[in-house]
Amino acid sequence: MNAFLTTAIFDPIRIPLDRWIADFVNWLSFNYRPTFQAMKRPIEVILQGVDGLLQATPPIVFIALLALLAWRVAGPKVGLFTVVAMTLVGMMGLWTQTMTTLSMVLAAVLVCVVIGVPVGILAARSDRFAAGLRPVLDVMQTTPAFVYLVPVVMLFSIGTVAGVIATIIFALPPLVRLTNLGIRGVPDDVVEAAEAFGSSEREILFKVRMPLAMPTIMAGVNQTIMLALSMVVIAAMIGAAGLGVPVVEGLNALRIGVAGIGGVAIVLLAIVLDRITQAIGEGGRRGRS
Amino acid sequence: MIHVDDLTKIFGPNPDAALCMLDDGHGKDAIREATGHVLGVNGASFELERGEFFVIMGLSGSGKSTLLRCLNRLVPFTRGRVLVGPAGEQVDVGTASARELREIRTRRMSMVFQRFGLLPHRSVRDNVAYGLEIQGVARSEREARSEEVLEMVGLGGWGPSRTSELSGGMQQRVGLARAIATDAEVLLMDEPFSALDPLIKMQMQDEMIRLQRQLGRTIVFITHDLDEALRLGDRIAIMDDGTIVQIGSPERIITEPGTAYVADFVEHADPTHVITARTVAVDLDHERVGVARRVGDVTFHSHVAQSDVEIGVDRDGRVVEVVADGARARIEALDRVLEEDAPAFRYRDRAVWVRGDATLRRLLDARTYVNLPVIVQDEDGRLIGLVTERELIHGIVEKRGHGVRSPAASASASAPRPLDVASVEPHAIGRHA
Repeated sequence: MNAFLTTAIFDPIRIPLDRWIADFVNWLSFNYRPTFQAMKRPIEVILQGVDGLLQATPPIVFIALLALLAWRVAGPKVGLFTVVAMTLVGMMGLWTQTMTTLSMVLAAVLVCVVIGVPVGILAARSDRFAAGLRPVLDVMQTTPAFVYLVPVVMLFSIGTVAGVIATIIFALPPLVRLTNLGIRGVPDDVVEAAEAFGSSEREILFKVRMPLAMPTIMAGVNQTIMLALSMVVIAAMIGAAGLGVPVVEGLNALRIGVAGIGGVAIVLLAIVLDRITQAIGEGGRRGRS
Repeated sequence: MIHVDDLTKIFGPNPDAALCMLDDGHGKDAIREATGHVLGVNGASFELERGEFFVIMGLSGSGKSTLLRCLNRLVPFTRGRVLVGPAGEQVDVGTASARELREIRTRRMSMVFQRFGLLPHRSVRDNVAYGLEIQGVARSEREARSEEVLEMVGLGGWGPSRTSELSGGMQQRVGLARAIATDAEVLLMDEPFSALDPLIKMQMQDEMIRLQRQLGRTIVFITHDLDEALRLGDRIAIMDDGTIVQIGSPERIITEPGTAYVADFVEHADPTHVITARTVAVDLDHERVGVARRVGDVTFHSHVAQSDVEIGVDRDGRVVEVVADGARARIEALDRVLEEDAPAFRYRDRAVWVRGDATLRRLLDARTYVNLPVIVQDEDGRLIGLVTERELIHGIVEKRGHGVRSPAASASASAPRPLDVASVEPHAIGRHA
């Protein structure tokens, strides 16, 4: 067969991208491992703080507080659902793991907000920055988590913190995108009015743009939480604790039941968090319409 | 209060070339073709006194909104000068630093917008207090002020509501309250009533007239509606293609349109609220008025249209007697007569007098009650002239008077204003001629 019609056409030039990537990650971990280890530190502190607090709270108190919050922001139905869902999780014997997962999600989301909102605001203010940022976000969002799992382990070693870092990479992009979108979507006439009354750039950002973009930003937070929850199992593969552990264990040992309850607990937690954060975002939107 | 001198705005990255072309006498279209730059405002100059209600009128694209935004530098201008503030402490808007500019916007000028520009996440009260918040006024004080101003614009008690619960007219009242609350001397209003229903729009105009009587701010008001301009303005500037083609009092704009462009506008305007009795009245020297007889100090005059009516005027120029059909008629102020119900047949035994600044509308009212010529007097009770149906119809249809304005009369009609003569662009006239 003609060589031009087969994959043989590529033979003369072979790009060794695989080796380049391996070399680059090796070089990075060899030279900068201490830097990356230091970067772990703040996340570790947040994680330990949140996890310590959640684990120390008596389950009955926690359920009561969370249900109260759900009731206030999302109504009695969600409040009731929260009680049922969290009680079920406890009765399945997964309370401790659920609290660990929740603290991982909260830590990841906190870091995402701290990084994502300012980056999103910058992107909204500069078209060039936004254009440069876009492919980076695309890569973060579409690269399969398994691909960067190994580099993360090499740079940050295994464990829950490494799991949170992998989660952050995956969950950050929608928050940046939606913050950008929200800030850009603030009507020009409102901004102009604020300017006409002598507002400084800072005042316009905090008194006008941010509050008006808040429903969109909250939608981003909601997305980030959902993505963070979907990373729980993958994070468990690099040694993170929490609800991913029974799933991974069940998978390895073919214990369908154990994997099953892990999955159910994740879903229940996801629904509770989704309903609450969505209601917060809509609360802001209700005021606008 | 506001001094604007040769204000020019050219949109585009490199306006110098466009400025050169402008100085060489090229027009907006030529400049756009040659340089790609758009001439927004072309050499606008005017001077506003404290308390003046100044209306800038023009069609969309005439540059009126751009001109307004140059006054507080929301749009930075290319050339010219804008000074704001009372004499002696004027601030140059064009050269102000960022900090000074914010100071000007917080304390000296506030603004009302066509699309309201309210903050939807704040309550009505917090919207009104926005300017005060930027000024750094304490919360309790700005809330008190906010309630006070809301009361003033007829929204007392609405403070805690969301702006989204309000109708368009009410939202604009909030916008107005926000602008008033800062106590800025100058109020910039960008087509504030254009987005409202006609009826609401009229209400808001009345409200504006009432508020202005109360507050006496210096107002620059943008509109594309000539009737609105005529109702509200002490003076009106008419803009075409970025150029101010005429500045003058409403009556002057109507009766003496400076260019064909202005005349086109005026063609469809309702003159009855604008043209005054002084303008349409014929004085005693007019050819339509003749002397009938003299009795002692009193000279009796009659108008050709109603030669059976004689108006007796003494040496001081006061009307002392009116004789119709051989009988003496009572002479009364129009306002008194209007308190009664309109008669089935118009009175021929009663004559009415009005002041020189009464509008054609008032004269029409007068003619529904009284058949005799209306006596037009000045503030001292001296006769200015007479108005019969003939003058009235001429005034409404032709939108012109008889040129009886004595120097003293026109001086009392409107306070002398600087720069009352328009800078007329040659091409603006030429195109419409």
